Amino acid sequence: MKDQRTLSGTEDTPALKPPPSGLTAFLIGLSRTRIVRAMFRYYPVWLLLAAWEAIARAGLVDPMFMPPFSAALRTTINELFGSGELLTHVGYSFARAGAGFGLAALVGITLGIFMGRLRAVESFVDPLISAIFPTPKLALFPLMMVLLGIGDASKVALVFLGCFFPIVINTYTGVKNVDEYFIWNARTKGANSRQVLLSVVFPAALPYIFAGLRVATSTAFLLTVASELIASNEGLGFIILYAQRSFNPELMFGAILLVATLGFAVDRLLLAVGRRLFSWQEQK
Amino acid sequence: MTHVTISNVRKVYHTAARGELLALSDVSFTARRGEFVSIVGPSGCGKSTLLYIVAGLLRASAGQVLVDGLPVDGPSPDRGVVLQNFSIFPWRTAINNVAYGLEMAGVARKERLEQARGYLDLVGLGEFASYYPRELSGGMKQRVAIAQMLACNPKIFLMDEPFGALDALTREVLQHQLLQLWERDRRTVLFVTHSIDEAVLLSDRIVIMGRRPGHIKQILDVDLPRPRNPEQVRVIPEFTRLRNFVWASIRDDSLNDGYSKTDAG
Repeated sequence: MKDQRTLSGTEDTPALKPPPSGLTAFLIGLSRTRIVRAMFRYYPVWLLLAAWEAIARAGLVDPMFMPPFSAALRTTINELFGSGELLTHVGYSFARAGAGFGLAALVGITLGIFMGRLRAVESFVDPLISAIFPTPKLALFPLMMVLLGIGDASKVALVFLGCFFPIVINTYTGVKNVDEYFIWNARTKGANSRQVLLSVVFPAALPYIFAGLRVATSTAFLLTVASELIASNEGLGFIILYAQRSFNPELMFGAILLVATLGFAVDRLLLAVGRRLFSWQEQK
Repeated sequence: MTHVTISNVRKVYHTAARGELLALSDVSFTARRGEFVSIVGPSGCGKSTLLYIVAGLLRASAGQVLVDGLPVDGPSPDRGVVLQNFSIFPWRTAINNVAYGLEMAGVARKERLEQARGYLDLVGLGEFASYYPRELSGGMKQRVAIAQMLACNPKIFLMDEPFGALDALTREVLQHQLLQLWERDRRTVLFVTHSIDEAVLLSDRIVIMGRRPGHIKQILDVDLPRPRNPEQVRVIPEFTRLRNFVWASIRDDSLNDGYSKTDAG
């Protein structure tokens, strides 16, 4: 407390200020780091969690329905790093979401570019997309299970379908929006059609492609967990359902929090990568 | 001597809304090697269309363009193009924009960056090598575009209103720079502009075009002494005479056109 006062003390007596002790200096340094500033930015989230904790501890709700946040957190950490079992389930969910998303990115970006550049591909694929896109992908999951079994394949296929549409549509829009003058400029500088595609069309459309990827990541998590809730013996969706059925609300809430945190982290990561890649754009 | 031959070029646009539109009708002229030729005319006279046909970006509906006696078939780095606006790549830094043509030609990274730096210095932007276009002013962007063209070492410069979007002061500075550059290398230049002043200042000859359909009205020799310095040239009586002559020619066309438009309903 004494240190605090000297630090915020009057400016006319700087010479009398004792140098900050080791701990204070450390705390000041910490408060300036990006992590701590980001923590402050999310204070409404912490308030919400604190309210949850308070309501549960005050006994206002049945702990069978809603255990305190701290209990859910403790259980999650124990299950994650104690036995490590929860970690394998995180791995399953991540692998399924990642495989479906990765495949969708590969196929979606490639097809989107060709749609935007080749009239024949465009006129063939566009009506198909218009017809299939509005269908809720989850409605196709029972069909996927019939075709591909209840293992990983049907889940990856479902995630793929869900991610494919936002990626292909955004890529296509991005390619269509490439300024014709960029392409003309490239051609007069000796670029062949392959070089035009790689050095002009792709970078010009990349901000759109990235927006599509961002939408697709949330879809990937959504469909992975949903499919695991429906039919699975592993993964976070399975854990949520399993915990609910075995009267383990701490674990259920913990798994939900885990899904939310993972989705949030991946989205932030993509945003950060995007900011780096698109530093050339006009800042809005 | 003859470098570029434009013979009986005709261009018809097919539009969904209005059917066929005749943009150019039977345009012919030649440019000598090392000659600076400006193309002026009211908007809609097809002067940019003509330039893009010479560039190989558009195809003539009839007639042909010969360069060194060979017909033009598609774009080539030998015919450098500076477009009006926004044609340099916003995702590349100034130096990487200038190095673009060399990169496409497969020149090694170190070598092409070295050359690009030389061209950036030439247009006075050496300090801005690592800047992105959004960080540069309009005049600087067009200088990057010019350096980008120069880096391909073209035999012909095709410039489509390169200074059209710039303020008067910047425009004058760049006109002077272009003059000095041209005096040094004596490349053949086809320069589209809507500024009569600019055309007289820069050119050896001025092609005056009229519209509906786009055609050549007149070709005018500009016998002003070289090397030219913008401030000095503008006070020569011959400069004023030529400018008034071109202006009268274009104005008549614009007025007549106004009436014919009302007649046509």
